[in-house]
Amino acid sequence: MAAAHRTSRALVAVFAASILVATGCTTGGPAATTAPTAAATVAVQKGGRIIEGTFSDIRTLQPVLVADTPSGRITDLIYDRLIQADPQNGEPKPRMATFTAGAGGKSYTFTLNANANWSDGKPIIAEDWATGVKAVAMSKITVRKSDFSNIEGFQEFADGKATTISGIVIDPANPKKWTVTLKAVQCDGIFQMSGYTLPAHVFGKYVAAGQADAIDKAAENDNPTVFSGPYKFKEWRKGDQVILTRNDSYWQGAPHTDEYVYKVVADATVLAAQLKTGELNFGTIEPKDLADMERVDSVKISKYQNLGYTYIGWRVNSPTATALADKRVRQALAYGLNMDDVIKAVLFGEGQKQVAHHVPVQWAYPAPATLNAYPYDTAKAEQLIKDAGYTKGADGFYAKDGKTISFTIRTNSGNKTRETLAQVAAEQYKKIGVDAKTQFEAFQGLVTQLQEGHQSIEAVIIGWALGNSVDPYTIWHSSNTPDPATKKTGFNFTFFKSAEVDKAIEEGRSPASGDCSVATRKGHYATMNKILNEEQPYNFGFANNTLAVTAKNLENFKPGPFSAIYNMHEWWFKK
Amino acid sequence: VRKYIARRLLYAIPTLIGISIIVFAISRLAPGDPVQLYTFGIQDITQADVDRIRAAHGLDKPMPLQYITWATNAIQGDFGRSIIYPSQNASRLIIERIPNTIQLAVAALLLQLLIGVPLGIIAALNRGKIIDQIARFFSTIGQAVPDFWMGLVFIIIFSVTLRLLPSQGMLTIGKDQWDLADRLRHIIMPAFVLAFGGIALFTRLLRTETLEVIRQDYIRTAEAKGLTDRVVVYRHALRNALIPVVTALGGVLTFLISGALVIEQVFTWPGVGQLTFQSAVAKDYPVVMAGVMIASTMLVISYLLRDLTYALVDPRIKVG
Repeated sequence: MAAAHRTSRALVAVFAASILVATGCTTGGPAATTAPTAAATVAVQKGGRIIEGTFSDIRTLQPVLVADTPSGRITDLIYDRLIQADPQNGEPKPRMATFTAGAGGKSYTFTLNANANWSDGKPIIAEDWATGVKAVAMSKITVRKSDFSNIEGFQEFADGKATTISGIVIDPANPKKWTVTLKAVQCDGIFQMSGYTLPAHVFGKYVAAGQADAIDKAAENDNPTVFSGPYKFKEWRKGDQVILTRNDSYWQGAPHTDEYVYKVVADATVLAAQLKTGELNFGTIEPKDLADMERVDSVKISKYQNLGYTYIGWRVNSPTATALADKRVRQALAYGLNMDDVIKAVLFGEGQKQVAHHVPVQWAYPAPATLNAYPYDTAKAEQLIKDAGYTKGADGFYAKDGKTISFTIRTNSGNKTRETLAQVAAEQYKKIGVDAKTQFEAFQGLVTQLQEGHQSIEAVIIGWALGNSVDPYTIWHSSNTPDPATKKTGFNFTFFKSAEVDKAIEEGRSPASGDCSVATRKGHYATMNKILNEEQPYNFGFANNTLAVTAKNLENFKPGPFSAIYNMHEWWFKK
Repeated sequence: VRKYIARRLLYAIPTLIGISIIVFAISRLAPGDPVQLYTFGIQDITQADVDRIRAAHGLDKPMPLQYITWATNAIQGDFGRSIIYPSQNASRLIIERIPNTIQLAVAALLLQLLIGVPLGIIAALNRGKIIDQIARFFSTIGQAVPDFWMGLVFIIIFSVTLRLLPSQGMLTIGKDQWDLADRLRHIIMPAFVLAFGGIALFTRLLRTETLEVIRQDYIRTAEAKGLTDRVVVYRHALRNALIPVVTALGGVLTFLISGALVIEQVFTWPGVGQLTFQSAVAKDYPVVMAGVMIASTMLVISYLLRDLTYALVDPRIKVG
């Protein structure tokens, strides 16, 4: 469940290793050393404390206001979700509620588990879920409006024109059952609607009609008192740690461990050191620390592909790096960079080359055979550049009409992975006659320039953390291209636009036919990935492995590609 | 004296206003938009969302108006709502952490005085001897070595290699809040690293001053009267040698507050410095402003205290 689920909804740019770690939203691959058999044969031992390391403190305990991965980790442990992504394949699975889709894909009916109670003994009911939706509607600072804006009557309620949300109808005979009606089909909407079940008997008073944004200032936001998740909130020592304790009335049964602590540490080196000493017993390490960690007897390491990738984005309409407008040049830049070398150098082999948007563990990932793998081939790269009308000058660089193929790859300083990728790329591109430079700068300025579509951006290295939803609308749809003239911002900052890609994305997201079947959607995403693979608006870089480290005696840690902590209530320490 | 204090506090007002304008301008003119940072990468975020959040924080208004609004509220103690801690007030976030920073600063100050002052005197009294040379060597190192670097070296030596001291935080997980021994183990390394520069400063200062003072006529007179060396040094020389120490104290306090910013980061010490640093990175304007203004006010007060202390150690100086 949980963290992965949260990140699922957020594409959360991977701007620092900290987020990567905090994400912990593990992925795929062989869950190497976990031993599920142990739990089956040995009696579970109760007690102990899970201590997870993080680089960033949480920022809120109110799920409606969460915008970062660490806060999502904690709110997911204290407020359970209706739906979870299957840890192995990402498909929506019942958790606290079962669901059925109505005909045409425009409605869903949810029924909460009969045993699902709040920690104060009150049953969890439909009204609690509606309270979460209303809270999102009324908050002025939430980033989650789009989760529910597709529900009939949501906007009217948010605007104060209605006192209830017409698209939410609670079964008069069963307070645990309700139906949601949508304005349009939204294939991945089930994840978003899974939403935030808040205790109505606590937060209800803040979301009554006429309360304006009272929910943003509710005292219980950061001092919650009633819980539905496996753990209860105990204390938030800001900047230092968050302490949760076992919720004995958890509907899936009380967790085996007594406490969960989310501990802030300075950086990856400290985190690795504390995993070795046992001060932490759960955390994610960087590839550079892997060899060292493998020599430690007291831990076990689980590897899985991360649900995200690091890429070089080419600004296709750059007024200064005009060569990047030519598809052949961009393809040459794919052939001309030995990504396997990069993966060895920066990830110590713990990753794999990406040549399209979706990552292999997502069901939307197309059959590899349909994609060009762009094997390292400098001759082919140079040929493509020549085909584009460039000739090599005395300086060794290709040029056309007196203009050399030249651009600056920018990335955020301090991120060693990205800095190394930039340096290796610049070096290797020189070998194919391309004058690439590097520039490292503060993340804040770079991100703002990207989203605002500054002309000065020619090439950029950054990363996407993808989530449960496979919908790439926010990244690739042309409507999300920034427009400096109208001050419109967006994440499609390479300015790549394709009517065909738009159509494929729209059909995969909200098909006119209402057909949300995996088979049909897979076809749409195959089309999109094929075009992106051919057009190369990004050099799609690589998807790294997540390297989760746990204490050797922690049993039942069974991370899947889409979540590491969905079963935390079943974890236990063998004494 | 009361009048003097009132007048000094009155003078502080234009200083604080000046600081607030400069910090306000710098934080906003530096590249990067806090709301765009906050919403970067969020799936299905819309322009309307970004605009709404910006408006909720008043960031859609012209800058001068933003400042006036901020100043009006700040006078009433309301520094606004944090942008990245959405359910927290900026001033509350800062105030919660002040005790942690003060603990660290006071511990460091004590170390500076307890080590620096005696070391300086001993060095002066043993001028040219081996102990003097050692003291001078360390005081040079202390001035030259950047504290964040020393922090990391200490962590490697005392935490990673020797496993003697914890490297992070204020308290071992699971220990009681009031476990003083555990707290002491946590504070010793950051406090010492933070103090190191100051120890060097005080050693040098005391050494120079003591050398100066023991050449004065009244010391010779005291010695001539047949007083023991001990009495001469402690009653006559030390008291006069301490005056520049008090002067330096104001500067040291400034350093402790600003230096804590780096040290808190290195040792994950949850103080004001760590928060202000992280807020500056995330461009959380309200918290940065609250942090700077509260630190500035503390500084103004510490200077005032320093000047009042003068009167205590030097009867020739009168306040008022």
